[in-house]
Amino acid sequence: MKATPNIDPVLAVYMRDVDCTLLRENLKLTPAQRLEKLARFASFASTLRKAGERAKAGRGVPR
Amino acid sequence: MSTEFDKLLPALVQGKVEFILIGGVAGNVHGASRLTYDVDVVYARSAANLKRISDTLLPFAPYLRGAPAGLPFKLDVATLRNGLNFTLVTKLGDLDMLGEVVGGGGYRDLLPHSFVVEAFDVKFKCVDLPTLIKLKRAAGRPKDLESLAELQLLLDEQGR
Repeated sequence: MKATPNIDPVLAVYMRDVDCTLLRENLKLTPAQRLEKLARFASFASTLRKAGERAKAGRGVPR
Repeated sequence: MSTEFDKLLPALVQGKVEFILIGGVAGNVHGASRLTYDVDVVYARSAANLKRISDTLLPFAPYLRGAPAGLPFKLDVATLRNGLNFTLVTKLGDLDMLGEVVGGGGYRDLLPHSFVVEAFDVKFKCVDLPTLIKLKRAAGRPKDLESLAELQLLLDEQGR
């Protein structure tokens, strides 16, 4: 992916750091699949957050 | 709690709420990779739609996000009519109900710049990519620069 000419120079700096491989993978999916992926990731993040809260409260899974 | 996108969006559709998806989730529809934590929608301000919003969200206990607990807040038709933009927390997650957005106006203004997307077994309107970029630019928030960069690259890709 190549930046459009005449773009805001500040935005152009940010565009250099975008991981385009992630965008290309997303573009292979349908919009519905992209939203399903978002929902799965949100659920995963929630599970991790709850595990972190349990661990902080001293109720983590024993080793 | 995390937002249950797969329940919140269908709930709005099943309640026949007229809305257009904007914000980070709309970015995901277009292929953006950034994770977002809330749903942003622009809703129609008709009396009938305000009633539908109130009826639809009531079971999910909508409350003002970040406000102290115990305020006498009720998302009924009068509240919706007297207000405009509501940042809410619900049992299904965070939901921003926006009557107007900077750079985009209201529901009717955005309607020509929206398209129908099908996901989670329902169909709803989502703002198109050029307009989403316009809205993000108009918001002028430094935190949006990274997501704007992604969206601009996605737009460039579409133009090829």
